[in-house]
Amino acid sequence: MDKEQRCVSLSVHPSRGLMDEKFIVLVQKVLPGFQLTIHASYHCEDGNSWEAFAHYTADASGTVNVSQDTSVGGTYCGVEAMGLLWSLRPVPGSKPGLRLRKKNVQTPMEVTISVYQGHQTEGFVDQVPLASVLVERWYMAPGVRRIPVTEDGLTATLFLPAGPGPFPGILDLWGGGGQLVEYRAALLASHGFASLVLDYLTSKITMETGKMVDNQYFETAYRVLQQHPQILGSRIAMLGLSLGTSITFRMAVYSQVIKLRCVVCIGGSHVQPIDGSVKEILTFVSLNGSKVRFSEKNEMIWRDLLLPITTDPSFKVDMGRFQCPLMLVVGEDDQSWAAYDSAMDMKEMMERAGNSHLLTILSYPKTGHLIEPPYTPHFRASIFRKVGTREKFMVLWGGQTVEHSRAQEDAWKKILVFLRENLYGGTNPGATLLSHL
Amino acid sequence: MLRAGLSVKTLWQLMEMKTKTCLKVHGRMADLQHAMGAFRWMSSVRPAPVLTAAPVRALIDEQISIKGRFLPPNSPITLCSRMHSEDGDLWEAFAHYNTDASGSFSLTSDRSVGGSYTGCEPMGLFWGLHPPPGSREGLRLRKRNVETPYTVHVSLLEGHISPSGGPITELAAVTTERSYMAPGVRRIDIRQNGIVGTLFLPPGPGPFPAMLDMWGMGGGLNEYRSALCASRGYASLSLAYFEHKDLPGPLRELNVGNEYFKSAFRLLQDHPQIVAERVGIVGLSFGVYLTLNLATQPGINPSCLICINGPMGRSHFLPGDKGEVKYWNYDERGYIAFRQISLPSNMAPEYKVKMEKINCPLMYIIGEDDLSSASTENADQIEEELRAAGKSHLFTRLSYPGAGHLIEPPYAPNARVTMWRIKPEKMVALFGGYDAPHAAAQEDAWRKILCFLESNLRG
Repeated sequence: MDKEQRCVSLSVHPSRGLMDEKFIVLVQKVLPGFQLTIHASYHCEDGNSWEAFAHYTADASGTVNVSQDTSVGGTYCGVEAMGLLWSLRPVPGSKPGLRLRKKNVQTPMEVTISVYQGHQTEGFVDQVPLASVLVERWYMAPGVRRIPVTEDGLTATLFLPAGPGPFPGILDLWGGGGQLVEYRAALLASHGFASLVLDYLTSKITMETGKMVDNQYFETAYRVLQQHPQILGSRIAMLGLSLGTSITFRMAVYSQVIKLRCVVCIGGSHVQPIDGSVKEILTFVSLNGSKVRFSEKNEMIWRDLLLPITTDPSFKVDMGRFQCPLMLVVGEDDQSWAAYDSAMDMKEMMERAGNSHLLTILSYPKTGHLIEPPYTPHFRASIFRKVGTREKFMVLWGGQTVEHSRAQEDAWKKILVFLRENLYGGTNPGATLLSHL
Repeated sequence: MLRAGLSVKTLWQLMEMKTKTCLKVHGRMADLQHAMGAFRWMSSVRPAPVLTAAPVRALIDEQISIKGRFLPPNSPITLCSRMHSEDGDLWEAFAHYNTDASGSFSLTSDRSVGGSYTGCEPMGLFWGLHPPPGSREGLRLRKRNVETPYTVHVSLLEGHISPSGGPITELAAVTTERSYMAPGVRRIDIRQNGIVGTLFLPPGPGPFPAMLDMWGMGGGLNEYRSALCASRGYASLSLAYFEHKDLPGPLRELNVGNEYFKSAFRLLQDHPQIVAERVGIVGLSFGVYLTLNLATQPGINPSCLICINGPMGRSHFLPGDKGEVKYWNYDERGYIAFRQISLPSNMAPEYKVKMEKINCPLMYIIGEDDLSSASTENADQIEEELRAAGKSHLFTRLSYPGAGHLIEPPYAPNARVTMWRIKPEKMVALFGGYDAPHAAAQEDAWRKILCFLESNLRG
């Protein structure tokens, strides 16, 4: 083993971080001008393997700092501090249409980061790296409590931040795939928001009786937050993605029970029958089944199902009645929902009604449907099974990896600021209990 | 606070809520006034302030940045850290701060005005930990299981208060985890060739430079410094040599000799993932004598030596043995300072290491308030002998005023006094060192140790 190989020092700081935390990858003690490949490897819970890699040339001091130096090739190029994570892709030979999602949020994602000699693109598994470290990425900060919620027929999980509270609360809704997807709520709790993620498509009641939940189900979930001794009932928000957005709009505007401090909607639409509940929304969407298109790779494109945006008011949530700050996050290359067109229509409705000062739109070019917390891989399409169907389809979500990953990072940062301002800020922090009366 | 467009019903509900709260408060006015004052800020209409720590999972030698916001401006607050040792003892530190005009604070820039420490001390809540009044005496915080982190709970309290181990009312809290082992570090029990120890390997294929690690006459097997070295890229073997059940012979006696230590050194050199020409030795207290003695054995060529507060020789007795009692000094509480025995003038000549045989860089670290070992005098002796042999260039001295005997990896509390023996009779030893200068010494020394290892084991 020659001397220069012995010396190579690889470090990642922090070695244990939160999923949305940046890290610094540093290679030191190689010869100046030394060509190397930095490689990331991840084996996920379902047994699939993902990898990313980038080509660097060491500077005059024999150092490569991923946050400052330029990758000249690999799964990402340029200066990308977190490229080793967001450019992860299934290793050659993997099944098509994979999606990386952590189910168990109580354990970290363990990523192996290694340095190889030269600029390489394959065969990493067969080689011994010059150096290798293990990095942990966590959705849950220490002290965050995970509490399954099954009272009143709910299928949900509550994440409470560490400490006594009271905390503001967030009701977290995902989309048409159903299940309980916990990671975003866990991460929000790590940022100080009590978060309740709700399964509203494949809940225990639905699975046992075959009946879809009604609007009361969401109001019950809201009450769980509102009445919790460690949650501030006057500071509750809703965050929805995809189909979850549809539910969120409906509840925010029409529910007599749900009073929200603010709302974040990602990749969704206000177009839906305003009467009824989940079942009616799903039926409405599938009525336009003939508008489903296919890409040249035979991926399903659902985008047109809601296009053109209707002018019929009984099929659009009346956005003029929105009473709290609303942040819409849309990918302009969303191939699954007509999110951008819907956002423009919502803007117009709110301008006409005089409440558009409540609206913030974050619109990202070349960004697809699944705008998720940052630094997890982007995939343009994946295998998806919509609830209520037996078959799985390859669904096109859209987006180009670099732009989509940047959008996720930017959107998440702005979502957290928005939530903090509306849920933590807003009143004089020096006021005492008595002066509020 | 009222939003436009609320329905009448909602307005009524809001007013009702306020009225109820108002009645509750007036009814409990007397209670409120008696309360610790901590309820003044707790409100049913605004969320608790936010306390953050970053990174929230850190290695022991990493700084954690603690901040708070959404507090009243220019107001007194107390930060209180608490943890339970593996033996179940409570350790606690606290510090008094004032929020700024925006209702925020940050321990990396703000100054404590009272408590376990004063001034700007970002890690004071960790190195300032002490057992609260009424705890068992002579406690020392040492991690036995290095595979789990220390969980330290940090609380934000209203006003300037002194918790003293009692109940506290938190405004906010954050939990930190501090580890000696980085992810991927491997811990391997070593019981071969008669050697008793624990080997820590950094993650990756290697090969790695390595350090043989020895502690003092407290005995047993202390793994944490080795674990941390491995987390910094150096394989490390923590070696037991005294009072360990897997060692031969009676406890309370030193039953291993030069061959034992040579075997341990060779074990590192022979390991397939360790570079044989890049092995150094670190010792603290009696471990210094063992380090120097081993380094002068024929056939043993370490790359570097680190000596912390220990002798370059020994008497006929073992340190801590009653035979040395005439050299011990006692304070007014009957606590023992062992220091005198380790003066070079009190050493048996045949046990003094011949420093002219040292052939590699040697870093000697001194706590100037060391009450257990005559560190300064030994450093002087070593330096003088190396100079006489024309080897001054090998010697580096770090000397820290106010620091004690136990200069360990940083941000851990100092034990100025420690329970040395319980049987056959209670002996409490004085190790010296005052909190703040000792903490500064640990931080600075560790940084310099890592640089020294970098130059000598990787350069």
